[in-house]
Amino acid sequence: METPIIEVIGLEKAFGDHMVLKGISMTVYPKEVVVVIGPSGSGKSTLLRCLNRLNEPTNGKILFQGYDIMSPDIDINVVRSQMNMVFQNFNLFMHLSVKKNVTLALTSVKKITQEEADRIADETLLKVGLTEKADAYPGQLSGGQQQRVAIARALAMDPKVILFDEPTSALDPELIGEVLDVMKKLAESGMTMVVVTHEMGFAREMADRVIFMDEGVIAESGPPEEIFTNPKNERTRIFLKRILKEIEDMDPLKPKYETPELAPEAEGVKAAEEGYKWSQEHKEPDEQKRWLGFKFLKRDKKK
Amino acid sequence: MNLDWSVIGENFNYLMAGAELTIIISILSIFLGFVGGIFIGMCRISKNPLIYYPSTAYVEAFRGTPLLIQIFLVYLGLSSFNIQLSAWDAGILALSLNSAAYQSEIFRGGIQSIPKGQMEAARSMGLTYNQSMFKVIIPQALRNALPPYTNEFCTMIKDSSLVSAISVMELTWSAKNVISVTFQPFVVYIFIAFLYFLMTFVTTRFMRYLEKRYAIPGMMGAE
Ligand SMILES: Nc1ncnc2c1ncn2[C@@H]1O[C@H](COP(=O)(O)OP(=O)(O)OP(=O)(O)O)[C@@H](O)[C@H]1O
Ligand SMILES: [Mg+2]
Repeated sequence: METPIIEVIGLEKAFGDHMVLKGISMTVYPKEVVVVIGPSGSGKSTLLRCLNRLNEPTNGKILFQGYDIMSPDIDINVVRSQMNMVFQNFNLFMHLSVKKNVTLALTSVKKITQEEADRIADETLLKVGLTEKADAYPGQLSGGQQQRVAIARALAMDPKVILFDEPTSALDPELIGEVLDVMKKLAESGMTMVVVTHEMGFAREMADRVIFMDEGVIAESGPPEEIFTNPKNERTRIFLKRILKEIEDMDPLKPKYETPELAPEAEGVKAAEEGYKWSQEHKEPDEQKRWLGFKFLKRDKKK
Repeated sequence: MNLDWSVIGENFNYLMAGAELTIIISILSIFLGFVGGIFIGMCRISKNPLIYYPSTAYVEAFRGTPLLIQIFLVYLGLSSFNIQLSAWDAGILALSLNSAAYQSEIFRGGIQSIPKGQMEAARSMGLTYNQSMFKVIIPQALRNALPPYTNEFCTMIKDSSLVSAISVMELTWSAKNVISVTFQPFVVYIFIAFLYFLMTFVTTRFMRYLEKRYAIPGMMGAE
């Protein structure tokens, strides 16, 4: 068996006396795309941020390529340079050009020369389709372009794994597709990815494994077909029904249940009275954006 | 009332020598205050209480007492401990210590105006705390802090006149001397007021230039 890239054993995280992660164990193998879903506040971001110790775990073990990253012998900065993160709000360095954003960690962490770093930057910017924006500043780019730069910035480090924390949640609906496209390409190229997202389309299509988190524990995990069509956990079912019900409700273009890919969930949707009520209370612009991204992805797929 | 403007011409070189010293004192104490301010400002955002509390006490002490008393304390007070500074050194030291306190607050404000996602992104790529600070946070913080720095620099230029109280031979002290022999207080004071104004005016223009020069494209304030 291959060495896992990430192995989490009994991870616990408390903020004060508020227990947010209550014993998480999971493994991420090379080239795997693991999608983490779950209701707001269930601890998805906290889990991701514990993996690179942006949040300090309270208890448990995290192994990165077999090394305990909590051990005092480990230089966490070296770990982080190989386990990059893409944030919901992009967090690009606003005072640096796109190219400098990509090269900063190359020159200051990996100690690569500026010329070599520039070459790598050109290469990665080409991959995310932003070659012509190399000299622009983040403030001059759309959200979708900024997030693609953030992905390039992570990718340029040649990481073993990239962690994505809701990479499309802050985007205008029409910009979600371009970011998901880049992520799909990345996944197809064999990048190991842990993705927290509400984009069920991406999860269904790209995930090797879907993890459903609820109240600080992994309530269920398995291949997407299983989780989406035949969830075993009651909470998973309600969560999916809510999200997918919204998709149905909000789609003015798609006649109900006629899209084959949606049919299995649509079944469940019909019956989901409680899920429906939930969605009524939670129809915020944010949720609508997520849904539109789903639609975008589906269309892309058909082409 | 007899205003004799010729006294300016007659004492022009003498007054200009004072103005020159004022400029030197101002530049030195602004610069030392800037460096000290960054140091104290970094201490003020430290989580270590042994660093945080002393630096906070420093700022409170210098902000809460009159600058003139601080000057007297450094010049005359220290001599009680057998530390005898020249008026010139004591004046610059007192002004710098005072300005460092104010500039540390400006610096801290600049740092805290940067969204914490910037630090997180830098750290998540493997940059150390210091690298993140000097390559990501501080360059943005200083840009944001340029307007309040401009205020503080102008204040320093004007407040440097207080060291005339310990007979540093700068502009205000020279003016008093000229007045004591010419008996033309209005003429002389209006003239040096104009000189102080020139100095602050040049300073604000220069800072305005820096703001434009270092404006971040695509951000507020840039064209
Ligand atoms: N720095 C912090 N200090 C205190 N509490 C925190 C902190 N960060 C997160 N929490 C709490 O931890 C819980 C889980 O938060 P987390 O951000 O991990 O949820 P999430 O699953 O990512 O939710 P969302 O979908 O809204 O992003 C929440 O109750 C939150 O209030
Ligand atoms: Mg989150």
